[in-house]
Amino acid sequence: MRAGPLFGALATSLRRNLGMTCAVVVTVAICLALLGAGLLLRAQARTVDRFLLDQIEVVVDLQDGLPEADREALRDELAADPLVTKVSYESKQQVYERFRRDFRGSPDVVAGVSADDLPASFRLALADPRDAEEIVYTYTGRDGVEAVRDQRALLGPLYRFLDGFTLGAFALAAIQAVASFVLIYTMIRISAHARRRETAIMRLVGATNAAIRAPFVLESALAGLVGGLLAVGTLVLAKVYLVDGRFAHQTMFPLFGWGAVWAAAVAVLAVGVTAAAGMASVALRRHLRV
Amino acid sequence: MIRLASVTKRYGVGGRPALHGVTAQIDAGEFVFLVGPSGSGKSTLLRLLIREERASEGLVEVAGRDVARIADRRVPLLRRTVGCVFQDFRLLPDRTVAGNVAFALDVVGRPRHVVRSVVPEVLELVGLTGKEKRFPDELSGGEQQRVAIARAFVGRPLILLADEPTGNLDPATSAEIMDLLDDINQAGTTVLMATHNAGLVDAMRRRVLELDAGILVRDEHRGGYDAPATVAVSATVAVSATVPASAAPATVAAAPGLPGVPGVSGISGVPAQRAPSAGGFVGRPAEPVGLVGPAEPEGPVGLPGEGAA
Repeated sequence: MRAGPLFGALATSLRRNLGMTCAVVVTVAICLALLGAGLLLRAQARTVDRFLLDQIEVVVDLQDGLPEADREALRDELAADPLVTKVSYESKQQVYERFRRDFRGSPDVVAGVSADDLPASFRLALADPRDAEEIVYTYTGRDGVEAVRDQRALLGPLYRFLDGFTLGAFALAAIQAVASFVLIYTMIRISAHARRRETAIMRLVGATNAAIRAPFVLESALAGLVGGLLAVGTLVLAKVYLVDGRFAHQTMFPLFGWGAVWAAAVAVLAVGVTAAAGMASVALRRHLRV
Repeated sequence: MIRLASVTKRYGVGGRPALHGVTAQIDAGEFVFLVGPSGSGKSTLLRLLIREERASEGLVEVAGRDVARIADRRVPLLRRTVGCVFQDFRLLPDRTVAGNVAFALDVVGRPRHVVRSVVPEVLELVGLTGKEKRFPDELSGGEQQRVAIARAFVGRPLILLADEPTGNLDPATSAEIMDLLDDINQAGTTVLMATHNAGLVDAMRRRVLELDAGILVRDEHRGGYDAPATVAVSATVAVSATVPASAAPATVAAAPGLPGVPGVSGISGVPAQRAPSAGGFVGRPAEPVGLVGPAEPEGPVGLPGEGAA
């Protein structure tokens, strides 16, 4: 079918079926916004990961008053360990400065701590961050070692938080996807019923199945597209007001950038249009005899 | 153009078949009436020709192609070679006259310039020039049927199927529609028209196929609505071999003493150039069918040997 008559049929169908189409748009928008939120949370987890991989992974806190000779012996031993690629010493003062930098967002915490309260330490870069556990096991309890900390392990709760919310967002998106399918199914049924005279005549005069189905699939895909655009709008607003506007002042971790938002937007639009069109095709098999 | 060989159609399992062992051939350019009481299988036969239904047994050939063996995706091409007209017109109420006709071309993807040039031509052919912008509910029944015929014919089908096209129309309007279908036939399109309108059939004197309880009981050239006695008798004999006797005799009883054919030729508004097609029967408008006699008795078709399948 030519574009003119095709869009004519689409416009007629939309006009007759506006309420139902709006319901589909809203449901699809919520579904896709949740999907987009899940994608952004995953992007955030990856951003944190990348940030931490650049940092020294394992910190060996030294006991106060450790003689310099013992300290050097420990450094040599650490440097000789095949799992460790780099060892760097930080004095109490340097540790304090790092602490102040990391907690610049929380002046109260910084105010209650002085350089003396913090241990001098070795920071270790590992050939493979996943070996951190073995390093912790080997050096904990050694003479002069106060504690061995795996910074990634400290971030477990953060990762669990991000993973949990990602999973939750995807699960809700899946539930909304089911709801969207039910609505699209109903929309197609109503639409096919409203247009049954037209489709009967189309069959009769020899229109192809594709031509008969196209307006319905287009209607659904359009609802998917509009829902997707609304979802993208929500993601952009969340990035501007929630992430950049609030979280950026509250966390020491870097936050995902606009690149992640646009990647999620493209995914959300693509999924929205194709899934809505696909769901319509499935519903058409049931409700439109061609 | 159309060939049916021992065609049987059953809906569901068990029960009487809607069509039983029907064999007939219609050549290109013929005008054929399909008559028979309600439920005799006329509509089923038409539906088989556009593969709305598939025959349970037997061969259905349209325009040289075995309809059963056309791939699903090619069925639309079959339907483009067959135009359909119905008793209830089936126009789209939210489209104008021209819009309804153009719709048939639009949905099969004809280019816009073709639609623009062909639609006015066809509307002129059916005598609706000047009413292109009207909506169906602003038209009389006869005009609506003209729109429907224009829509069926605009794609220049080889065959035009008309299922009770005059069923909702008064006699005078029916005769006009009949004339229009005749014109279309004269222009070379094969026309198969299912009808209950005895007056039209008797006036036209064209080939008549009569179905009764799914069996073809008459195939008569230049026939009337009711079977002439001789043919009817032989049909009864043949039919009694295959179906319960209750179905057949009813057709015979009505044969003599036909009501006069309405004055088709005298209808106002039928253009003069249609006279030749009407002239053929002006001379014998009220001729009793019994006198036509055994003209070309094609014989009953529902022979026991063929139909028993």
